[in-house]
Amino acid sequence: MIEVSRFTKRYGEFTAVDDLSFSIGPGEVFGFIGPNGAGKSTTIRFLATLLRPTSGEAWIAGHSVVGDPMAVRKVIGFMPDDFGVYDGMKVWEFLDFFAVAYEIPVKHRRKIIDEVLELLDLAHKREDYVNGLSKGMKQRLCLAKTLVHDPPVLILDEPASGLDPRARLEMKALLNELRGMGKTILVSSHILSELADFCTSIGVIERGKLLAAGTIQEIQRQLRSHRVLKVKVGDASTARARAVLEDDPGIRSVDAFDHTLTAEFEGQDEDMGRLLVRLIDSGVAVQSFAEETISLEEVFMLITKGIVN
Amino acid sequence: MFSNNPVLSRELLVNLRSTRAFVMQGLYASFLAALVYFSWPGGDPEWGGAVRQVSPGVARLLFNLFFLGQFFLVALVAPTFAAGAITGEKERKTYEMLLASPLKPLTILVGKLLSSLSFLVILIVSSLPLMILCFLLGGILLSEIVRAYLILILAAGTFGLLSLACSSFFRRTSSALVVSYLVILPIALLCVAVTRNDDSMTRDFVSIAVLPPWCLAIWTLVVVVVNRRLLRPPDVGSEGNEVIDEAEEMKSAIGVVIDRDLFPDKLFAPAKRTDLMPDGTNPVLDKELRSEIFSQGTLMLRVVIQVSMFISIFLMAVLLFWRPDWAGYYVAYVITFNLLVGPVFSAGSITQERERKTLGLLLTTLLRPGTIIRAKLLAALRVSTVLTFLLTEQLLLAYVLVPNLQTRFWTLPVYLLIIATTCLATTTTGLMCSALSRKTSVAIVTTYLVLFALFVGPVGLKLYMRDFVESVSESKLSAMTISSPYAAALSIVIPPDKSSMVGTYAAANTPPVRFPGGFAIPVWGMFLMFYPLLSGVFYIIAYVAFRYRWWRAGGTS
Ligand SMILES: Nc1ncnc2c1ncn2[C@@H]1O[C@H](COP(=O)(O)OP(=O)(O)O)[C@@H](O)[C@H]1O
Ligand SMILES: [Mg+2]
Repeated sequence: MIEVSRFTKRYGEFTAVDDLSFSIGPGEVFGFIGPNGAGKSTTIRFLATLLRPTSGEAWIAGHSVVGDPMAVRKVIGFMPDDFGVYDGMKVWEFLDFFAVAYEIPVKHRRKIIDEVLELLDLAHKREDYVNGLSKGMKQRLCLAKTLVHDPPVLILDEPASGLDPRARLEMKALLNELRGMGKTILVSSHILSELADFCTSIGVIERGKLLAAGTIQEIQRQLRSHRVLKVKVGDASTARARAVLEDDPGIRSVDAFDHTLTAEFEGQDEDMGRLLVRLIDSGVAVQSFAEETISLEEVFMLITKGIVN
Repeated sequence: MFSNNPVLSRELLVNLRSTRAFVMQGLYASFLAALVYFSWPGGDPEWGGAVRQVSPGVARLLFNLFFLGQFFLVALVAPTFAAGAITGEKERKTYEMLLASPLKPLTILVGKLLSSLSFLVILIVSSLPLMILCFLLGGILLSEIVRAYLILILAAGTFGLLSLACSSFFRRTSSALVVSYLVILPIALLCVAVTRNDDSMTRDFVSIAVLPPWCLAIWTLVVVVVNRRLLRPPDVGSEGNEVIDEAEEMKSAIGVVIDRDLFPDKLFAPAKRTDLMPDGTNPVLDKELRSEIFSQGTLMLRVVIQVSMFISIFLMAVLLFWRPDWAGYYVAYVITFNLLVGPVFSAGSITQERERKTLGLLLTTLLRPGTIIRAKLLAALRVSTVLTFLLTEQLLLAYVLVPNLQTRFWTLPVYLLIIATTCLATTTTGLMCSALSRKTSVAIVTTYLVLFALFVGPVGLKLYMRDFVESVSESKLSAMTISSPYAAALSIVIPPDKSSMVGTYAAANTPPVRFPGGFAIPVWGMFLMFYPLLSGVFYIIAYVAFRYRWWRAGGTS
């Protein structure tokens, strides 16, 4: 859905973004993570057709960002990191303004505005002036604005920055809902935990360089040459379980501690399934059988330490 | 308060360190030097022809020119710095920090005043050597020079303080600036009228006994008012945004009330929508006219309308009814009004989107750059034209009632055309400067400079050349002034009804511009042909500049 190829942006001597490439599939939620000044907004503004690249290209839903910005604008909903609102406008007028700007005919507009206000829980603020809204409501209003033309792709730059914890949670819930509607979402943040629970893939950027990108599993696999299995078994089965595991060609080593076995494993998901069947067939009382995942937090720390590069 | 004033020292550092200040100062000094060089008695034969006699008359002429020039400089420049002094803090969102600091309001006020006037004072002082030269020519008393500087300093202080007061009452520099100019305009005209008086007794009396106490009174009043305003600022909403409710504001309004449902107010402020826009609406135009115009409250517009109406009544009595042959000067007033007010609505139109960080939102929609820029032009043009034409009501009245004007009824449409063309000129100039600048304050000041150069510069140059350069034909002098609506308005001749005044009438006559083919076009005709072209060029520049940014758009951050 989004394809970035070798995007570079220089400001004079300073390289803000250096040779960035990644791609995001349809329906994915891509978390764009990096500290302040890493180049997230620069990349996002490029994707939103607001910034000419020094070099590089990008395609959104098949349209070239550089060559056909108008077509790109039709398919994206963009929320800048730092935006203002017009003075003297009410909430519904604000949405109406953008709906007209997106060329939505009046007969659909009424329904869309109502729906969007409902979705973002702003219906009771319909008649309020936009510049009197709180920061959290303005963020939601801006998100509402990005939805009026029902774009398949949402590009959101730090949608939760500056919000209190509660508003942050609400924003998260909203994004989850949007994901459920099948939208492809690119969302940036400098705080990892904001994105951890609902991103399907992430990209980590630091000082203009992309350190890692891909689905979370892919990145984890990059980080470890092998997978780690944790198997918990009933009292009497530890020895038998250990024997079955050591028998398997995919298993490198097995450690046992109490009733929990930790095994280094190489292979696909199917191999893992077969292994479980074999354990059960040989009468091991398996209480739990899972791949040990490392948390996004750990991934991030590992990446920024330069382990993957 | 003076020696250890953090506001003052910070501002001085920032203001005077800028290269712009040095460049402006250098330009000004060389301009003055050139002026003196070319008008120096017995100067360059290429310019002056025969060597002129050293006469006290020339010295006085030069002296008067200097004084008037500097006076206008003070009236123009003092507000550009002072009107933005406090609104600038509001726009940068540092206002609350400043208020919450332990600084006394008076310290802030004095710091702001001195820092905004410092540059002006340097400009004035840099003209001192040239004034002394005039003094050396003879014919001028030292006391006159001292008095001239006294008046200039008083004027700078008064105008600066008035602008500061405006600055503390408005939220945007543009509003504060235009109201400052409007308040200063009648005061400045009055001062000039008094000091132009040839009777030296009245002059001495006014400048020594009347002016200083009045100035002091104004200063005290302004300081008290601003002090109170800074001590107890009105409630500022979240992030320093006052949310202005029109209905609420109307209740507490004094004087003129703007009612969007009534004529003529609805011409520049159509009623707010109660339902969605119909299909095919230009959303930007709709937004500008219905939402943005009063977004900062109606205070600015109400003050503008009231002050301009107030002045116009006096001017109408004198220029239209008592001396109908001076009708051109009334039109000149209307032009001045537009010159001051017009740029406010257009010069911020693009820069404000950037400053309020809404440009990014606007540019990612499907709106084309042409649609946006056209909407900005039409909205600004409409507001500025309607406000300006409110002042032509008096003109219409005079044409109905005054016999001398009735017989020359064809001059009315010409006057109206000149005014309309001026509106177009000020708006397109503002739009162009807005598309080329990054900040509204810069755009507005640039617009004023360009318009001043186009409108007033040629007239000044013409007057100067007529007095000091002898070998230029009257037709050439006229040709020089076709960019000035003032020259255009005054080139229309309405003979006085009293035959005793025919002499002055002949002197005021502006000859038409002659072309090689032998035909001649009056100055107003040239003006009416020149501006549609120039406005077109300005509009295209605005469009191209906007489009360039629209595609590159790097300017939105
Ligand atoms: N217009 C500009 N001119 C010069 N440098 C810029 C400009 N815009 C951004 N930068 C620089 O590019 C870098 C990346 O900025 P940005 O993309 O905004 O970072 P973030 O990841 O915090 O969003 C920063 O170091 C910033 O200073
Ligand atoms: Mg950013």
